[in-house]
Amino acid sequence: MELVLTIGLDALSFVLTLLLVTLGLVIVYGMMNVINMAHGELFLLGAYTLVAAQSAGLPFWAGVLLAMLVVGLAGLLIEELVIRHVYGRPIDTILATWGLSIAIKQLIIIVFGPAAISLTNPLPGSVSVLGIDYPAYRLVIMAVSAFLAATVYLVLFRTSIGLQIRSVIANRGMAGSLGVNTRLMDRGTFAVGAALAGIAGAVMAPIMSVDPQMGVGFLIPAFLAVLVGGLNSLLGAVIGAGIIGGASTTLSSGMAQATAQICVFVIAIVVIRLFPNGLSKGFR
Amino acid sequence: MTRRLPLFLTIGIWVLLLLAPLALDDWRISQLAQFLTYGLFALSLAFIWGQAGILCFGQAIFFGIGAYLMALITLGKLPLLGESQWTGIILGAVGGGVGAFGLALFMLGGRGLSGAHLAIVTLCAAVVAEVAAQRWDFIGGFNGLLGVPPLVAPYTRDDMFLSSNETYFLVLAIVMAVYLLLLLISRSSFGTLLAAIRSNENRTRYFGFDVTVAKLFAFSLAGMISGLAGALFTAQFGFVSPPLVGFGLSTEVLIWVAVGGREVLLAAFVGAIFVRWVENLLSDKLGQYWLLAMGLMFIFVVILAPRGLFGRILNLSKSR
Amino acid sequence: METTPQILEVKEVTMRFGGIVALDGLNLSLRAGELRCILGPNGCGKTTLFNVLTGALRPTSGTVSFQGAMISGKSPAAIARLGISRKFQVPGIYPELSVIENIALPLAAANRHPGVWSLLRQRPDRARIAELMGFAGLSQKGHVTAAELSHGEKQKLEVMMLLATDADLLLLDEPTAGMSKGETSAIAALIRKLTSELGKTVLVIEHDMNFVRELDCPVTVMARGTVIADGSYDEVRHDPRVIECYLGRAA
Repeated sequence: MELVLTIGLDALSFVLTLLLVTLGLVIVYGMMNVINMAHGELFLLGAYTLVAAQSAGLPFWAGVLLAMLVVGLAGLLIEELVIRHVYGRPIDTILATWGLSIAIKQLIIIVFGPAAISLTNPLPGSVSVLGIDYPAYRLVIMAVSAFLAATVYLVLFRTSIGLQIRSVIANRGMAGSLGVNTRLMDRGTFAVGAALAGIAGAVMAPIMSVDPQMGVGFLIPAFLAVLVGGLNSLLGAVIGAGIIGGASTTLSSGMAQATAQICVFVIAIVVIRLFPNGLSKGFR
Repeated sequence: MTRRLPLFLTIGIWVLLLLAPLALDDWRISQLAQFLTYGLFALSLAFIWGQAGILCFGQAIFFGIGAYLMALITLGKLPLLGESQWTGIILGAVGGGVGAFGLALFMLGGRGLSGAHLAIVTLCAAVVAEVAAQRWDFIGGFNGLLGVPPLVAPYTRDDMFLSSNETYFLVLAIVMAVYLLLLLISRSSFGTLLAAIRSNENRTRYFGFDVTVAKLFAFSLAGMISGLAGALFTAQFGFVSPPLVGFGLSTEVLIWVAVGGREVLLAAFVGAIFVRWVENLLSDKLGQYWLLAMGLMFIFVVILAPRGLFGRILNLSKSR
Repeated sequence: METTPQILEVKEVTMRFGGIVALDGLNLSLRAGELRCILGPNGCGKTTLFNVLTGALRPTSGTVSFQGAMISGKSPAAIARLGISRKFQVPGIYPELSVIENIALPLAAANRHPGVWSLLRQRPDRARIAELMGFAGLSQKGHVTAAELSHGEKQKLEVMMLLATDADLLLLDEPTAGMSKGETSAIAALIRKLTSELGKTVLVIEHDMNFVRELDCPVTVMARGTVIADGSYDEVRHDPRVIECYLGRAA
């Protein structure tokens, strides 16, 4: 029973973090029809910003805030310098952002070196949850992720700017002709999507070994989550993250991590095959 | 003269390659033979991407299958199949083709995945393939297999290895044969069909063509050629390891083809050799900066030069 | 006297999308070699009808048969192979390919069995391509990329592509969209030739009344997913139901 609870909590924490990363992807895709292959590297950038902040002596939460700002800014730059030039060409966007991911990763290797870095846990020790001892920091991660995800949903579904964003996702041309400043929305949402990934990276960094390959490690599950849930759907992001994150953690507890990865992939592609537009859109 | 430039350049390049052993020493010829193998790999991706319009982020999966099969056979690990290198090469190609067929069948069946979805699935497949290869002890696990024997001369009795020149000519012959095959295919009505699928897939169905079968065939053929390249690679380098099936190599070949020019077969071929050659020259001096330069170069080419560096001057077709 | 056979029979076809009824028990039949126009206000179901005929949609109920065989429910590729070819409203040409390649593609399907193996052994039929380019007045533009053609030329190219398929039934969806008056007359003449000289059966969806008058053929008027009138252009023009349907529009 303890084991089940632990796995359950681990799964929840992974799902929530994955959701943050996935949300960024889905929002950017919905808004701009852009599949950002560099999204994983934005996650990576967030983690390494925290590394830099900590070695500069900044407290943990300042580091996370800095990660959000730095990666958000990076998002703005990327949108302006790269995305804007391949707008409307989905395959070229995939390629250009893929090139970007290579460049960003290599930049990080140049600056920080290729070896894995371990960060100190800002909140060591465990807390008693539902009768078991669970690492306190992981609970913090869950809380932060849940809070951010909830904020995103609240903004999107309860504010007027959120309405504008959703209108652009639903019908870009129409929204534009109704006076929505789509260009500003593009920049803004890309930056926010990036910032989300950056925060996720910073927050996850203390419990993972931070190395330059982390980006791909999160990108692949995020992509699978998006495909499983539905490329254009916010609800799909939740469903997808839930399935991929849940399956990943549960399977990893019972078998070698690598085998678990393979199983998750197989599950994902079977689902995608049966539901080519994602689970949120129904069976075809 | 300028209208016939692509033809002259094409013939010129092959003539130069044929005459290369006269000018280059053993070591450089071996290197060139290795470059030719990369070029062959690039041809397979150029065919599926440039001709058929299917972007694959995992082409190395099939290259790796070919490499692993060649290694396993020539190292005697699959006794039922013998130890002959020719079996290795042929089965390497077949294995690549079968792997590609399987993946394509899955992705294109039913309503089929769209271009972007397909690209992402192939990316995930490449990552998973590498992970799987690392865990499979029979094929060498994380370290792969070493000590793969070089190519053997079939016409001597003592199983003497092919000299550098002989290896070079063998690889060149294979590469030329594949190039001519792909050229013939692109000139046939099937080639026109692939171009139409690339341009407007849905419209093509309304003319009566079975688009899915055409894509399956093209993907499998590309997989076979990748597998062939992999088998030749292993015989020349003497080893095989998990990164050969992973997304790292898959991305590299994408870069070669994008930089060279995906729409023109020879441009992609030359692109692979060019990038590899520049890498050899500069990677010592640039070290880590080389990969950064590659990434930036890739972005540059995608945004500003979608035809690649050599696409226009090597384009044999009269239009565009 | 032997009656010409019905090449196309649409019987009681209904097409529902959720709550929307796009086609409502539609009946239509065409004789071989006939030229017919379909008119109707926007949303009356004309394009949906074409979608059903070409296999893009499977009718909710009712049947479609072509040359005696049931085609409702078959895939677009299978139906095309039986001899039905469609021209789309937005020119369905291949913008990146040359004019020659554009025509070569449907030509490769003309033998009705365009399997991979047979396509690999086939080379484009240069003579026939030249002939078709001649019909459309595009002989000098063989190697031009289709995207660079004028709008009228693109429409003509697409009609040539349909001819290349050697289809027996041609479905033309607003062939004059975006054309000038001169181009319209040229297309009308071309379409009349398709039936009178080449023996094709042609079904045209149109909006342009002048064009319909020039075609001088039987007209079927649709509204709300069903046929409301049938006859010559003049008969239909004065039909009270048609007038009511078009109330507010200049006839």
